[in-house]
Amino acid sequence: MCLGIESTAHTFGASLVDDRDRIVTNVNSTYRPPVGVGIHPRKASEHLASVADSIVKTALSTKDGSSIDPDVIAYAAGPGLGPCLRIGATVGRALSSFLKRPLVPVHHGVAHLDIAMSITKAHDPLAVLVSGGHTSILVHVGKRWRVYGETQDITLGNLLDMFAREAKLPSPGGLSVSREATKGENLIKLPYTVKGNDVAYSGLLTAAATSLRRQGNLADLCFSLQETAFSMLSEAVERSLVQTRRSEVLLAGGVAASQRLRQMIGSVAEDHGASFHPVPIEYSGDCGAQIACSGRLAYESGITVSTSDSFVTPRWRMDEVDVPWIPRA
Amino acid sequence: MDTSSLASTLLHRGAEADLSLATVGSWRVVVKRRVKKDYRNPSLDEQIRHDRTISEASRIHEAKTGGARVPSIVGMDLENNAIVMTHIAGTVARECLDELSPKESRKLLRSVGAQIGLLHTAGIVHGDLTTSNVIVSPPGAPFIVDFGMSHRSVEPEDRGVDLHLLQRSIVASHSQDSSSMMNATIRGYEKTAGKKIATSTWQKAREIARRGRYFAIR
Repeated sequence: MCLGIESTAHTFGASLVDDRDRIVTNVNSTYRPPVGVGIHPRKASEHLASVADSIVKTALSTKDGSSIDPDVIAYAAGPGLGPCLRIGATVGRALSSFLKRPLVPVHHGVAHLDIAMSITKAHDPLAVLVSGGHTSILVHVGKRWRVYGETQDITLGNLLDMFAREAKLPSPGGLSVSREATKGENLIKLPYTVKGNDVAYSGLLTAAATSLRRQGNLADLCFSLQETAFSMLSEAVERSLVQTRRSEVLLAGGVAASQRLRQMIGSVAEDHGASFHPVPIEYSGDCGAQIACSGRLAYESGITVSTSDSFVTPRWRMDEVDVPWIPRA
Repeated sequence: MDTSSLASTLLHRGAEADLSLATVGSWRVVVKRRVKKDYRNPSLDEQIRHDRTISEASRIHEAKTGGARVPSIVGMDLENNAIVMTHIAGTVARECLDELSPKESRKLLRSVGAQIGLLHTAGIVHGDLTTSNVIVSPPGAPFIVDFGMSHRSVEPEDRGVDLHLLQRSIVASHSQDSSSMMNATIRGYEKTAGKKIATSTWQKAREIARRGRYFAIR
């Protein structure tokens, strides 16, 4: 039984995953900033610290009220906001030394892919990771994920959140924008920037925000922003898929909850005869289960860390982590 | 010219276009037709396909004028977003690179570098330079194909993207040592583009690679 602790940004989560990769418990609490404001790292970390105790307790209790003793403690070591990462790492260290259980550091982005692969039964996919922290197209070569395409500036999650903030729509931005988008009809011309397998979203954000300030129609803008941003990514995914010739396409991360994006990436996969593996929506956003799932796999590959070396790494690239458990059986 | 009635056999399904083989007069030609993408909004889709078809043909023609080894334009079919161009017989570099000896691969990459240098001096950046878009056609130098993402620019930033994409495709798809492959590419590039452009382009390419998320040192 592996206990996973997530606290990279706005969510504190704790979850138990058993030796057969089944999610036993998954308890999460997310900090919501006021409308029009982004995540303040200190305020987010204060929220995480205030809920940590009860979340871990709930995650470790069975339905009949007895408590479970985990065999392994996994914590999200990065990437993320420093103050937030330190909350989860502190809880992880404390539990590990108190319960005398091994401690496993987990890369949050790798964990998004691991849980998606576990649930959707993907073996060796072209992975599309879309969230507030990542917008990357990856393939696994040798021991690591290799970045095949990525955003050159802000992520898809940043783009939707920042536009939502500009439009005074509530968090999470992606959901608010997609709700507005269903009311939009007219496609407004916005910058469409694809550079090979990379995308760049900052020009799109500026143009959309400028248009909004000039009294542009909000529904049409949300519709056009979504269509343009998702089309750019879909094109980069299609290009990467043709080049890497993978037979599976995995879609993971918070923005994977978007129905329109699922539809578009699914259509790209289908066009090229690849199977489509979108993460279930309840596990798309940050959660303890992703860390527990990835931590269990890492532990089985012999990855542990001593308490004194259990640092957090706010900047940590996907292609810097050894992930020897892929391709999956 | 109308390509819809042309007898052709499908050669390759690319990411954004279908390539078919046909005969026009005495020419063996490739018809590159940009197909409709169901995932895209119809008006956005039509606009992207139309603009790219015209731009691609123009860039190929300019590259030819600049002395680079690229296909020749035989005709255009704007109704169907199609370009008709001469067929290049050979093997895609992606297929054959891993079978070459390190010495042969370096030689190939040097010629590829020289071709990129010619494009850049002609004011063109390719925009999607990967080993899949290089055709090895012995005994001569390789051909560069697929100008669908190309555009006019003399900015080090845009030129850097070309070398960055090539490097990434070598790292991600090939077992060959990527740094010696890139060194060979740059040596070839220097021969046609000159030392000054080569230095600024490579510097930019390395900067672009570091622009991705979560690099500890920027």
